[in-house]
Amino acid sequence: MAEGVAIFAEWAGDGLHPVSFELLSEARRLADELESKVKAFFPAPPGQESQAEALIRHGADEVLYASHPAFENFLDDAASRLLVKMIREDTPEIFLFPATARGQALAPRVAGYLRLGLTAHCIAFEIGKEDRTLIQIRPSFGENVMAKIISLTKPQMATVRPGVFPKAKEDPARRGEIKKFPVSDEDARSALKVLERRPKAAPKVDLSRAKVVVAGGRGLGTKEFFAKLFELAELLEGAVGATRPVCHLGWISEDHMIGVSGQTVSPRLYFGFGISGAVHHLVGIRNPGLMVAVNTDPEAPLMKKADVAVVGDVREVLPLLIRRLKELKGESHEA
Amino acid sequence: MRFMVCLKPVPEPGTVRVDPETHTLKRESATLILNPADRYALEAAVELKEKTGAEVVAVMMGPPNAAPLLKEAYACGADEVYLLSDRAFAGADTLATSYVLSLAAQKLGAFDLIFCGKVSIDGETAQVGPELAAWLDWPSVIWVKELSPVEGGFEVVRVTDEGEERLVAKTPILFTIEPESNDPRPPSVKRLLEMLEKDVPTLTAEDLGADPARLGLEGSPTRVLDVFTPTYEGKKELLEGAAEEVVEKLVSILKERGLI
Repeated sequence: MAEGVAIFAEWAGDGLHPVSFELLSEARRLADELESKVKAFFPAPPGQESQAEALIRHGADEVLYASHPAFENFLDDAASRLLVKMIREDTPEIFLFPATARGQALAPRVAGYLRLGLTAHCIAFEIGKEDRTLIQIRPSFGENVMAKIISLTKPQMATVRPGVFPKAKEDPARRGEIKKFPVSDEDARSALKVLERRPKAAPKVDLSRAKVVVAGGRGLGTKEFFAKLFELAELLEGAVGATRPVCHLGWISEDHMIGVSGQTVSPRLYFGFGISGAVHHLVGIRNPGLMVAVNTDPEAPLMKKADVAVVGDVREVLPLLIRRLKELKGESHEA
Repeated sequence: MRFMVCLKPVPEPGTVRVDPETHTLKRESATLILNPADRYALEAAVELKEKTGAEVVAVMMGPPNAAPLLKEAYACGADEVYLLSDRAFAGADTLATSYVLSLAAQKLGAFDLIFCGKVSIDGETAQVGPELAAWLDWPSVIWVKELSPVEGGFEVVRVTDEGEERLVAKTPILFTIEPESNDPRPPSVKRLLEMLEKDVPTLTAEDLGADPARLGLEGSPTRVLDVFTPTYEGKKELLEGAAEEVVEKLVSILKERGLI
Protein backbone atom coordinates (compact mmCIF):
# COMPACT_ATOMS: atom_id res chain seq x y z
CA MET A 1 0.00 0.00 0.00
CA ALA A 2 1.17 3.45 -0.82
CA GLU A 3 2.35 5.22 2.31
CA GLY A 4 4.02 8.49 3.19
CA VAL A 5 4.49 11.91 1.72
CA ALA A 6 7.71 12.01 -0.29
CA ILE A 7 9.83 14.85 -1.59
CA PHE A 8 12.66 14.92 -4.07
CA ALA A 9 15.59 16.32 -2.09
CA GLU A 10 17.57 18.08 -4.79
CA TRP A 11 21.36 17.83 -4.86
CA ALA A 12 22.47 21.08 -6.48
CA GLY A 13 26.12 20.22 -7.15
CA ASP A 14 27.50 21.60 -3.90
CA GLY A 15 24.72 20.99 -1.40
CA LEU A 16 20.96 20.72 -1.14
CA HIS A 17 18.91 23.10 -3.24
CA PRO A 18 17.14 25.39 -0.71
CA VAL A 19 13.77 24.50 -2.26
CA SER A 20 14.15 21.04 -0.65
CA PHE A 21 13.39 22.66 2.72
CA GLU A 22 10.34 24.42 1.32
CA LEU A 23 8.98 21.10 0.06
CA LEU A 24 9.68 19.62 3.48
CA SER A 25 7.51 22.16 5.27
CA GLU A 26 4.51 21.40 3.04
CA ALA A 27 5.16 17.63 3.09
CA ARG A 28 5.27 17.78 6.89
CA ARG A 29 1.95 19.61 7.01
CA LEU A 30 0.32 17.10 4.64
CA ALA A 31 1.79 14.10 6.46
CA ASP A 32 0.57 15.39 9.82
CA GLU A 33 -2.92 15.81 8.40
CA LEU A 34 -2.78 12.29 6.96
CA GLU A 35 -1.12 10.89 10.11
CA SER A 36 1.65 9.63 7.89
CA LYS A 37 5.42 9.96 7.43
CA VAL A 38 7.63 12.31 5.43
CA LYS A 39 10.18 10.60 3.24
CA ALA A 40 12.97 12.40 1.42
CA PHE A 41 14.30 10.68 -1.70
CA PHE A 42 17.87 11.85 -1.96
CA PRO A 43 20.13 10.78 -4.83
CA ALA A 44 23.54 12.41 -4.32
CA PRO A 45 27.26 11.66 -4.37
CA PRO A 46 28.77 9.72 -1.45
CA GLY A 47 29.66 11.46 1.80
CA GLN A 48 26.53 13.58 2.10
CA GLU A 49 25.22 12.03 5.34
CA SER A 50 25.27 15.45 6.98
CA GLN A 51 22.85 16.72 4.31
CA ALA A 52 20.60 13.73 4.96
CA GLU A 53 20.65 14.64 8.65
CA ALA A 54 19.71 18.21 7.79
CA LEU A 55 16.65 16.88 5.97
CA ILE A 56 15.62 15.06 9.14
CA ARG A 57 16.12 18.14 11.32
CA HIS A 58 13.83 20.01 8.90
CA GLY A 59 10.97 17.56 9.09
CA ALA A 60 11.78 14.29 7.28
CA ASP A 61 11.08 11.03 9.12
CA GLU A 62 13.04 8.95 6.63
CA VAL A 63 15.73 9.81 4.17
CA LEU A 64 16.33 7.36 1.35
CA TYR A 65 19.89 8.23 0.49
CA ALA A 66 20.92 6.79 -2.90
CA SER A 67 24.60 7.55 -3.21
CA HIS A 68 26.83 7.09 -6.25
CA PRO A 69 29.75 9.17 -7.52
CA ALA A 70 27.90 9.71 -10.83
CA PHE A 71 25.23 11.72 -9.00
CA GLU A 72 27.65 14.58 -8.49
CA ASN A 73 26.06 15.76 -11.72
CA PHE A 74 22.39 15.64 -12.57
CA LEU A 75 21.85 12.90 -15.17
CA ASP A 76 18.26 13.05 -16.35
CA ASP A 77 18.01 9.46 -17.55
CA ALA A 78 19.85 7.74 -14.68
CA ALA A 79 18.11 9.85 -12.03
CA SER A 80 14.66 9.06 -13.41
CA ARG A 81 15.37 5.32 -13.69
CA LEU A 82 16.65 5.29 -10.13
CA LEU A 83 13.62 7.16 -8.81
CA VAL A 84 11.32 4.75 -10.62
CA LYS A 85 13.11 1.88 -8.88
CA MET A 86 12.92 3.61 -5.50
CA ILE A 87 9.21 4.40 -5.89
CA ARG A 88 8.45 0.82 -6.92
CA GLU A 89 10.13 -0.49 -3.76
CA ASP A 90 8.73 2.10 -1.40
CA THR A 91 5.63 3.66 -2.94
CA PRO A 92 4.60 6.92 -1.31
CA GLU A 93 1.03 8.19 -1.31
CA ILE A 94 2.16 11.63 -2.46
CA PHE A 95 5.36 12.78 -4.20
CA LEU A 96 6.33 16.45 -4.41
CA PHE A 97 9.03 17.66 -6.79
CA PRO A 98 10.55 21.12 -6.99
CA ALA A 99 9.77 22.95 -10.25
CA THR A 100 13.47 23.72 -10.64
CA ALA A 101 15.50 22.91 -13.75
CA ARG A 102 16.29 19.45 -12.36
CA GLY A 103 12.81 18.86 -10.96
CA GLN A 104 11.15 19.78 -14.24
CA ALA A 105 13.51 17.48 -16.13
CA LEU A 106 12.94 14.61 -13.73
CA ALA A 107 9.30 14.57 -12.60
CA PRO A 108 7.75 14.10 -16.08
CA ARG A 109 10.21 11.30 -16.85
CA VAL A 110 9.16 9.49 -13.68
CA ALA A 111 5.49 10.10 -14.51
CA GLY A 112 6.05 8.77 -18.03
CA TYR A 113 7.80 5.59 -16.89
CA LEU A 114 5.25 4.82 -14.17
CA ARG A 115 2.20 6.06 -16.17
CA LEU A 116 1.29 8.49 -13.42
CA GLY A 117 -0.58 11.75 -13.28
CA LEU A 118 1.56 14.83 -12.64
CA THR A 119 0.37 18.36 -11.93
CA ALA A 120 2.79 21.18 -12.73
CA HIS A 121 3.46 24.32 -10.71
CA CYS A 122 1.00 23.85 -7.86
CA ILE A 123 0.51 26.75 -5.50
CA ALA A 124 -1.43 25.00 -2.73
CA PHE A 125 -2.58 21.56 -1.62
CA GLU A 126 -5.56 20.29 0.32
CA ILE A 127 -6.43 16.83 1.54
CA GLY A 128 -9.86 15.47 0.56
CA LYS A 129 -11.77 14.75 3.76
CA GLU A 130 -13.30 11.41 2.80
CA ASP A 131 -10.70 9.68 0.69
CA ARG A 132 -7.28 11.18 1.61
CA THR A 133 -7.00 12.47 -1.96
CA LEU A 134 -4.41 15.15 -2.62
CA ILE A 135 -6.20 18.15 -4.11
CA GLN A 136 -3.67 20.03 -6.21
CA ILE A 137 -4.36 23.68 -6.86
CA ARG A 138 -2.89 25.56 -9.80
CA PRO A 139 -4.00 28.27 -12.20
CA SER A 140 -6.27 26.76 -14.81
CA PHE A 141 -5.38 27.18 -18.43
CA GLY A 142 -7.46 29.39 -20.60
CA GLU A 143 -9.45 30.87 -17.77
CA ASN A 144 -8.66 33.46 -15.18
CA VAL A 145 -9.38 30.96 -12.44
CA MET A 146 -7.74 28.35 -10.24
CA ALA A 147 -8.25 24.65 -10.84
CA LYS A 148 -8.43 21.85 -8.30
CA ILE A 149 -6.83 18.79 -9.82
CA ILE A 150 -6.62 15.22 -8.57
CA SER A 151 -4.58 12.23 -9.71
CA LEU A 152 -6.18 8.82 -10.07
CA THR A 153 -2.77 7.13 -9.73
CA LYS A 154 -0.31 6.78 -6.83
CA PRO A 155 1.95 8.34 -5.87
CA GLN A 156 -0.04 11.49 -6.53
CA MET A 157 2.66 13.68 -8.03
CA ALA A 158 3.02 17.43 -8.33
CA THR A 159 5.72 20.03 -8.85
CA VAL A 160 6.04 23.18 -6.78
CA ARG A 161 7.89 26.33 -7.74
CA PRO A 162 10.58 27.68 -5.40
CA GLY A 163 9.27 30.41 -3.11
CA VAL A 164 5.71 29.06 -2.84
CA PHE A 165 6.01 27.42 0.58
CA PRO A 166 7.94 28.67 3.60
CA LYS A 167 11.23 27.02 4.47
CA ALA A 168 10.80 24.35 7.16
CA LYS A 169 12.06 25.33 10.60
CA GLU A 170 15.04 23.46 11.91
CA ASP A 171 14.61 21.35 15.04
CA PRO A 172 18.00 20.07 16.29
CA ALA A 173 16.23 17.50 18.47
CA ARG A 174 14.29 15.85 15.63
CA ARG A 175 15.15 12.21 15.03
CA GLY A 176 14.63 10.12 11.94
CA GLU A 177 16.09 7.29 9.97
CA ILE A 178 18.63 7.46 7.15
CA LYS A 179 18.22 4.44 4.86
CA LYS A 180 20.89 3.75 2.28
CA PHE A 181 19.32 2.86 -1.03
CA PRO A 182 21.80 0.68 -2.95
CA VAL A 183 22.86 2.04 -6.34
CA SER A 184 24.70 -0.14 -8.85
CA ASP A 185 26.91 1.17 -11.66
CA GLU A 186 24.16 -0.03 -13.99
CA ASP A 187 21.66 2.19 -12.16
CA ALA A 188 23.96 5.17 -12.67
CA ARG A 189 24.58 4.47 -16.38
CA SER A 190 23.72 7.47 -18.54
CA ALA A 191 23.67 8.61 -22.15
CA LEU A 192 24.84 11.98 -20.84
CA LYS A 193 28.27 13.08 -19.80
CA VAL A 194 28.70 16.49 -18.22
CA LEU A 195 31.87 18.15 -19.50
CA GLU A 196 31.67 21.49 -17.80
CA ARG A 197 29.48 23.51 -15.48
CA ARG A 198 29.43 27.21 -16.11
CA PRO A 199 28.03 29.24 -13.26
CA LYS A 200 26.18 32.37 -14.20
CA ALA A 201 28.62 35.16 -14.92
CA ALA A 202 26.43 37.95 -13.68
CA PRO A 203 23.53 36.69 -11.63
CA LYS A 204 20.49 36.44 -13.84
CA VAL A 205 17.66 38.63 -12.66
CA ASP A 206 16.91 37.37 -9.17
CA LEU A 207 13.53 38.78 -8.43
CA SER A 208 12.90 36.35 -5.61
CA ARG A 209 15.11 38.32 -3.25
CA ALA A 210 14.22 41.83 -4.42
CA LYS A 211 12.84 44.08 -1.68
CA VAL A 212 11.05 46.22 -4.23
CA VAL A 213 9.52 44.87 -7.43
CA VAL A 214 8.29 47.19 -10.15
CA ALA A 215 6.24 45.14 -12.59
CA GLY A 216 4.56 46.07 -15.82
CA GLY A 217 2.00 44.60 -18.18
CA ARG A 218 0.55 45.17 -21.60
CA GLY A 219 -1.21 48.31 -20.37
CA LEU A 220 2.09 50.17 -20.64
CA GLY A 221 1.51 50.22 -24.37
CA THR A 222 4.96 50.10 -25.90
CA LYS A 223 8.38 48.60 -25.32
CA GLU A 224 9.84 52.08 -25.01
CA PHE A 225 7.43 53.14 -22.32
CA PHE A 226 7.87 49.82 -20.52
CA ALA A 227 11.56 50.69 -20.20
CA LYS A 228 10.55 53.58 -17.91
CA LEU A 229 10.08 50.95 -15.22
CA PHE A 230 13.85 50.60 -15.01
CA GLU A 231 14.10 54.24 -14.05
CA LEU A 232 11.57 53.77 -11.25
CA ALA A 233 13.23 50.53 -10.15
CA GLU A 234 16.56 52.30 -9.88
CA LEU A 235 15.08 55.08 -7.76
CA LEU A 236 13.52 52.50 -5.43
CA GLU A 237 16.54 50.18 -5.53
CA GLY A 238 14.29 47.47 -6.84
CA ALA A 239 14.02 45.03 -9.73
CA VAL A 240 11.80 45.05 -12.79
CA GLY A 241 9.21 42.31 -13.22
CA ALA A 242 6.86 41.54 -16.08
CA THR A 243 3.80 39.57 -17.06
CA ARG A 244 3.96 36.75 -19.55
CA PRO A 245 2.32 38.60 -22.48
CA VAL A 246 4.87 41.38 -22.19
CA CYS A 247 7.74 38.87 -22.33
CA HIS A 248 6.17 37.25 -25.37
CA LEU A 249 5.83 40.66 -27.03
CA GLY A 250 9.59 40.96 -26.64
CA TRP A 251 9.47 44.05 -24.44
CA ILE A 252 11.70 42.34 -21.88
CA SER A 253 13.43 38.99 -21.47
CA GLU A 254 11.72 36.06 -19.78
CA ASP A 255 14.16 36.32 -16.87
CA HIS A 256 11.87 39.06 -15.58
CA MET A 257 8.66 37.07 -15.79
CA ILE A 258 6.63 36.71 -12.59
CA GLY A 259 4.07 33.95 -12.29
CA VAL A 260 3.32 30.32 -13.01
CA SER A 261 6.19 29.72 -15.38
CA GLY A 262 8.26 32.63 -14.14
CA GLN A 263 9.62 33.68 -10.78
CA THR A 264 7.94 34.01 -7.41
CA VAL A 265 8.49 37.31 -5.63
CA SER A 266 7.78 38.41 -2.08
CA PRO A 267 8.93 42.02 -1.84
CA ARG A 268 8.22 44.66 0.80
CA LEU A 269 6.80 46.78 -2.01
CA TYR A 270 5.23 45.55 -5.24
CA PHE A 271 4.17 47.92 -8.00
CA GLY A 272 1.97 46.72 -10.87
CA PHE A 273 1.62 49.13 -13.79
CA GLY A 274 -0.91 48.34 -16.49
CA ILE A 275 -1.34 44.79 -15.25
CA SER A 276 -4.88 43.39 -15.23
CA GLY A 277 -3.92 40.62 -12.83
CA ALA A 278 -4.41 37.23 -14.45
CA VAL A 279 -4.01 34.44 -11.88
CA HIS A 280 -0.98 33.29 -13.88
CA HIS A 281 0.77 36.45 -12.73
CA LEU A 282 -0.81 36.81 -9.28
CA VAL A 283 0.35 33.39 -8.08
CA GLY A 284 3.91 34.64 -8.47
CA ILE A 285 3.42 37.34 -5.84
CA ARG A 286 3.61 35.90 -2.33
CA ASN A 287 2.96 37.96 0.79
CA PRO A 288 3.95 41.37 -0.52
CA GLY A 289 4.42 44.01 2.19
CA LEU A 290 2.52 46.64 0.25
CA MET A 291 0.93 46.04 -3.12
CA VAL A 292 0.27 49.04 -5.35
CA ALA A 293 -1.59 48.79 -8.65
CA VAL A 294 -1.98 51.47 -11.27
CA ASN A 295 -4.66 50.94 -13.88
CA THR A 296 -7.48 52.84 -15.57
CA ASP A 297 -9.87 49.99 -14.74
CA PRO A 298 -10.69 49.82 -11.01
CA GLU A 299 -12.38 46.45 -11.62
CA ALA A 300 -9.19 44.74 -12.82
CA PRO A 301 -8.30 41.80 -10.52
CA LEU A 302 -4.93 43.30 -9.57
CA MET A 303 -6.67 46.55 -8.55
CA LYS A 304 -8.99 44.52 -6.33
CA LYS A 305 -6.14 42.62 -4.81
CA ALA A 306 -3.87 45.61 -4.26
CA ASP A 307 -3.53 47.45 -0.93
CA VAL A 308 -3.35 50.72 -2.83
CA ALA A 309 -5.23 50.92 -6.11
CA VAL A 310 -4.43 53.99 -8.17
CA VAL A 311 -7.09 54.67 -10.77
CA GLY A 312 -5.31 56.45 -13.54
CA ASP A 313 -3.46 56.34 -16.82
CA VAL A 314 -0.05 54.74 -16.42
CA ARG A 315 1.27 57.09 -19.09
CA GLU A 316 0.59 59.99 -16.75
CA VAL A 317 1.13 58.40 -13.36
CA LEU A 318 4.44 56.65 -14.01
CA PRO A 319 6.40 59.67 -15.31
CA LEU A 320 4.97 61.86 -12.54
CA LEU A 321 5.91 59.35 -9.89
CA ILE A 322 9.43 59.10 -11.26
CA ARG A 323 9.75 62.89 -11.29
CA ARG A 324 8.40 63.21 -7.74
CA LEU A 325 10.79 60.55 -6.41
CA LYS A 326 13.72 62.24 -8.14
CA GLU A 327 12.76 65.51 -6.49
CA LEU A 328 12.61 63.81 -3.11
CA LYS A 329 16.03 62.26 -3.67
CA GLY A 330 17.40 65.66 -4.62
CA GLU A 331 15.95 67.16 -1.43
CA SER A 332 17.45 64.50 0.79
CA HIS A 333 20.83 64.98 -0.89
CA GLU A 334 20.70 68.68 -0.23
CA ALA A 335 19.64 68.16 3.37
CA MET B 1 19.63 10.92 -39.78
CA ARG B 2 15.98 11.54 -39.10
CA PHE B 3 14.56 14.07 -36.65
CA MET B 4 11.07 14.44 -35.26
CA VAL B 5 9.73 17.81 -34.12
CA CYS B 6 6.65 17.90 -31.89
CA LEU B 7 4.43 20.91 -32.45
CA LYS B 8 1.40 21.98 -30.48
CA PRO B 9 -1.57 24.01 -31.67
CA VAL B 10 -2.55 26.46 -28.95
CA PRO B 11 -5.52 28.79 -28.74
CA GLU B 12 -4.66 32.34 -29.59
CA PRO B 13 -4.77 34.13 -26.24
CA GLY B 14 -8.26 35.54 -25.70
CA THR B 15 -10.08 33.14 -28.03
CA VAL B 16 -10.24 30.10 -25.81
CA ARG B 17 -13.38 28.47 -24.44
CA VAL B 18 -13.53 25.83 -21.79
CA ASP B 19 -15.84 22.84 -21.53
CA PRO B 20 -17.95 23.57 -18.43
CA GLU B 21 -18.24 19.84 -17.66
CA THR B 22 -14.65 18.62 -17.92
CA HIS B 23 -12.84 21.97 -17.63
CA THR B 24 -10.66 20.97 -20.56
CA LEU B 25 -10.02 23.31 -23.46
CA LYS B 26 -12.48 23.29 -26.32
CA ARG B 27 -9.77 23.49 -28.92
CA GLU B 28 -12.16 23.32 -31.85
CA SER B 29 -13.74 26.62 -30.76
CA ALA B 30 -10.53 28.63 -30.64
CA THR B 31 -8.36 30.31 -33.24
CA LEU B 32 -5.28 28.13 -33.29
CA ILE B 33 -1.71 29.30 -33.55
CA LEU B 34 1.56 27.41 -33.39
CA ASN B 35 2.80 27.38 -29.80
CA PRO B 36 5.46 30.15 -29.83
CA ALA B 37 8.15 28.09 -28.08
CA ASP B 38 7.80 25.31 -30.66
CA ARG B 39 9.12 27.57 -33.42
CA TYR B 40 12.55 27.42 -31.78
CA ALA B 41 12.37 23.62 -31.69
CA LEU B 42 11.51 23.50 -35.40
CA GLU B 43 14.24 25.97 -36.27
CA ALA B 44 16.83 24.03 -34.23
CA ALA B 45 15.91 20.86 -36.13
CA VAL B 46 15.99 22.56 -39.54
CA GLU B 47 19.35 24.22 -38.82
CA LEU B 48 20.81 20.89 -37.76
CA LYS B 49 19.36 19.26 -40.87
CA GLU B 50 21.16 21.81 -43.01
CA LYS B 51 24.44 20.87 -41.31
CA THR B 52 23.95 17.11 -41.33
CA GLY B 53 21.59 16.32 -44.20
CA ALA B 54 18.90 14.79 -42.01
CA GLU B 55 15.16 14.64 -42.65
CA VAL B 56 12.84 16.64 -40.43
CA VAL B 57 9.39 15.22 -39.66
CA ALA B 58 6.96 17.55 -37.90
CA VAL B 59 4.05 16.02 -35.99
CA MET B 60 1.20 17.70 -34.23
CA MET B 61 -1.63 16.25 -32.19
CA GLY B 62 -4.71 18.33 -32.67
CA PRO B 63 -8.11 18.85 -34.27
CA PRO B 64 -8.50 18.88 -38.07
CA ASN B 65 -8.48 22.69 -38.14
CA ALA B 66 -4.86 22.63 -36.92
CA ALA B 67 -3.69 21.29 -40.30
CA PRO B 68 -2.75 24.71 -41.75
CA LEU B 69 -0.18 25.09 -38.96
CA LEU B 70 1.59 22.01 -40.30
CA LYS B 71 1.64 23.53 -43.79
CA GLU B 72 3.40 26.46 -42.16
CA ALA B 73 5.87 24.06 -40.53
CA TYR B 74 6.54 22.59 -43.99
CA ALA B 75 7.13 26.10 -45.30
CA CYS B 76 9.58 26.68 -42.44
CA GLY B 77 11.70 23.71 -43.47
CA ALA B 78 10.06 20.45 -42.32
CA ASP B 79 10.32 17.70 -44.95
CA GLU B 80 7.28 15.71 -43.86
CA VAL B 81 4.34 16.75 -41.71
CA TYR B 82 1.67 14.66 -39.97
CA LEU B 83 -1.43 15.57 -38.04
CA LEU B 84 -2.34 13.14 -35.26
CA SER B 85 -6.05 13.59 -35.01
CA ASP B 86 -8.88 11.52 -33.62
CA ARG B 87 -11.93 12.26 -31.48
CA ALA B 88 -10.56 9.70 -29.06
CA PHE B 89 -7.60 12.01 -28.29
CA ALA B 90 -9.85 14.76 -26.87
CA GLY B 91 -9.33 15.75 -23.25
CA ALA B 92 -5.86 14.21 -23.05
CA ASP B 93 -3.58 15.31 -20.24
CA THR B 94 0.20 15.27 -20.67
CA LEU B 95 0.52 11.51 -20.12
CA ALA B 96 -2.12 10.64 -22.74
CA THR B 97 -0.66 13.23 -25.13
CA SER B 98 2.89 11.99 -24.80
CA TYR B 99 1.62 8.42 -25.34
CA VAL B 100 0.16 9.36 -28.75
CA LEU B 101 3.38 11.19 -29.69
CA SER B 102 5.40 8.12 -28.68
CA LEU B 103 3.33 5.97 -31.06
CA ALA B 104 3.98 8.45 -33.86
CA ALA B 105 7.70 8.42 -33.09
CA GLN B 106 7.71 4.64 -33.43
CA LYS B 107 5.58 4.56 -36.56
CA LEU B 108 7.35 7.34 -38.46
CA GLY B 109 10.91 6.59 -37.25
CA ALA B 110 13.54 5.47 -36.79
CA PHE B 111 14.48 8.82 -35.32
CA ASP B 112 17.84 9.92 -33.95
CA LEU B 113 16.56 13.07 -32.31
CA ILE B 114 13.23 14.44 -31.14
CA PHE B 115 12.80 18.17 -30.64
CA CYS B 116 10.13 19.77 -28.46
CA GLY B 117 9.44 23.34 -27.40
CA LYS B 118 10.26 24.31 -23.84
CA VAL B 119 6.71 25.00 -22.67
CA SER B 120 3.29 25.72 -24.14
CA ILE B 121 1.47 28.97 -23.52
CA ASP B 122 -1.82 27.24 -22.67
CA GLY B 123 -1.13 24.36 -20.29
CA GLU B 124 2.31 25.66 -19.28
CA THR B 125 3.29 22.30 -17.80
CA ALA B 126 6.52 21.66 -19.80
CA GLN B 127 5.89 17.95 -19.19
CA VAL B 128 5.14 16.43 -22.58
CA GLY B 129 8.75 16.39 -23.83
CA PRO B 130 10.34 14.45 -20.95
CA GLU B 131 7.24 12.23 -20.65
CA LEU B 132 7.52 11.32 -24.32
CA ALA B 133 11.18 10.41 -23.79
CA ALA B 134 10.16 8.13 -20.92
CA TRP B 135 7.49 6.37 -23.02
CA LEU B 136 10.25 5.64 -25.55
CA ASP B 137 12.80 4.85 -22.81
CA TRP B 138 15.06 7.52 -24.32
CA PRO B 139 17.24 10.00 -22.49
CA SER B 140 16.23 13.65 -22.60
CA VAL B 141 17.79 17.02 -21.95
CA ILE B 142 15.62 20.06 -21.37
CA TRP B 143 16.35 23.76 -22.02
CA VAL B 144 18.99 23.14 -24.70
CA LYS B 145 20.43 26.36 -26.11
CA GLU B 146 23.29 25.08 -28.27
CA LEU B 147 23.62 21.89 -30.20
CA SER B 148 26.34 20.48 -32.45
CA PRO B 149 27.10 17.02 -33.83
CA VAL B 150 30.18 15.24 -32.45
CA GLU B 151 31.49 11.68 -32.81
CA GLY B 152 28.84 9.32 -31.42
CA GLY B 153 26.28 11.94 -30.51
CA PHE B 154 25.80 15.62 -29.85
CA GLU B 155 27.43 18.22 -27.73
CA VAL B 156 24.83 20.40 -26.07
CA VAL B 157 24.72 23.38 -23.77
CA ARG B 158 21.76 23.40 -21.44
CA VAL B 159 20.46 26.12 -19.19
CA THR B 160 20.40 25.22 -15.49
CA ASP B 161 19.28 27.07 -12.38
CA GLU B 162 22.91 27.78 -11.55
CA GLY B 163 24.01 28.83 -15.04
CA GLU B 164 24.81 26.50 -17.91
CA GLU B 165 26.16 23.03 -18.47
CA ARG B 166 28.05 21.67 -21.44
CA LEU B 167 27.58 17.97 -22.02
CA VAL B 168 27.79 15.22 -24.60
CA ALA B 169 24.73 13.14 -25.27
CA LYS B 170 24.37 9.85 -27.11
CA THR B 171 21.54 9.35 -29.56
CA PRO B 172 18.69 8.64 -29.72
CA ILE B 173 17.72 11.49 -27.45
CA LEU B 174 14.99 14.08 -26.96
CA PHE B 175 15.74 17.76 -26.49
CA THR B 176 13.51 20.63 -25.44
CA ILE B 177 14.83 23.83 -26.96
CA GLU B 178 15.36 27.04 -25.04
CA PRO B 179 13.36 29.90 -26.56
CA GLU B 180 15.36 32.69 -28.20
CA SER B 181 18.33 30.35 -28.68
CA ASN B 182 17.93 30.71 -32.45
CA ASP B 183 16.16 32.93 -34.92
CA PRO B 184 13.18 31.09 -36.44
CA ARG B 185 12.96 31.67 -40.18
CA PRO B 186 9.78 32.97 -41.77
CA PRO B 187 7.83 30.51 -43.93
CA SER B 188 9.03 30.24 -47.52
CA VAL B 189 6.34 31.43 -49.91
CA LYS B 190 7.44 28.87 -52.49
CA ARG B 191 7.01 26.01 -50.04
CA LEU B 192 3.68 27.42 -48.82
CA LEU B 193 2.39 27.42 -52.41
CA GLU B 194 3.62 23.85 -52.82
CA MET B 195 1.38 22.79 -49.92
CA LEU B 196 -1.59 24.87 -50.97
CA GLU B 197 -3.40 22.14 -52.88
CA LYS B 198 -2.15 19.26 -50.76
CA ASP B 199 -3.79 17.66 -47.77
CA VAL B 200 -1.81 17.20 -44.60
CA PRO B 201 -1.61 13.46 -43.93
CA THR B 202 -3.59 12.52 -40.83
CA LEU B 203 -2.94 9.60 -38.53
CA THR B 204 -5.79 8.33 -36.36
CA ALA B 205 -5.74 6.21 -33.22
CA GLU B 206 -6.23 3.16 -35.41
CA ASP B 207 -3.40 4.14 -37.77
CA LEU B 208 -1.13 4.44 -34.76
CA GLY B 209 -2.28 1.14 -33.24
CA ALA B 210 -3.18 2.95 -30.01
CA ASP B 211 -4.52 1.26 -26.89
CA PRO B 212 -7.93 2.97 -26.46
CA ALA B 213 -7.59 2.85 -22.66
CA ARG B 214 -4.55 5.15 -22.90
CA LEU B 215 -6.25 7.85 -24.98
CA GLY B 216 -7.97 11.13 -24.27
CA LEU B 217 -9.77 11.81 -21.02
CA GLU B 218 -10.12 8.05 -20.40
CA GLY B 219 -6.34 7.59 -20.58
CA SER B 220 -5.57 10.66 -18.46
CA PRO B 221 -4.69 10.02 -14.83
CA THR B 222 -5.36 13.62 -13.81
CA ARG B 223 -8.82 15.11 -13.47
CA VAL B 224 -9.96 18.66 -12.95
CA LEU B 225 -12.30 18.49 -9.95
CA ASP B 226 -13.39 22.05 -9.93
CA VAL B 227 -12.42 25.57 -10.86
CA PHE B 228 -12.87 28.63 -8.71
CA THR B 229 -12.22 32.34 -8.91
CA PRO B 230 -9.94 33.55 -6.15
CA THR B 231 -11.55 36.31 -4.09
CA TYR B 232 -9.64 39.21 -2.65
CA GLU B 233 -10.54 40.91 0.59
CA GLY B 234 -11.40 44.57 0.10
CA LYS B 235 -9.35 46.50 2.64
CA LYS B 236 -7.67 48.49 -0.10
CA GLU B 237 -7.18 52.17 -0.51
CA LEU B 238 -8.56 53.56 -3.76
CA LEU B 239 -6.79 56.63 -5.11
CA GLU B 240 -8.75 58.56 -7.70
CA GLY B 241 -8.51 61.98 -9.23
CA ALA B 242 -6.00 64.04 -11.17
CA ALA B 243 -2.66 62.35 -11.78
CA GLU B 244 -0.75 64.95 -9.71
CA GLU B 245 -3.05 64.39 -6.74
CA VAL B 246 -2.92 60.60 -6.79
CA VAL B 247 0.86 60.57 -7.15
CA GLU B 248 1.12 62.93 -4.18
CA LYS B 249 -1.13 60.66 -2.10
CA LEU B 250 0.80 57.62 -3.20
CA VAL B 251 4.13 59.19 -2.26
CA SER B 252 2.83 60.05 1.20
CA ILE B 253 1.64 56.46 1.73
CA LEU B 254 5.07 55.17 0.71
CA LYS B 255 6.69 57.63 3.12
CA GLU B 256 4.37 56.63 5.98
CA ARG B 257 5.26 53.01 5.44
CA GLY B 258 8.95 53.85 5.40
CA LEU B 259 9.29 52.50 1.87
CA ILE B 260 10.97 55.61 0.49
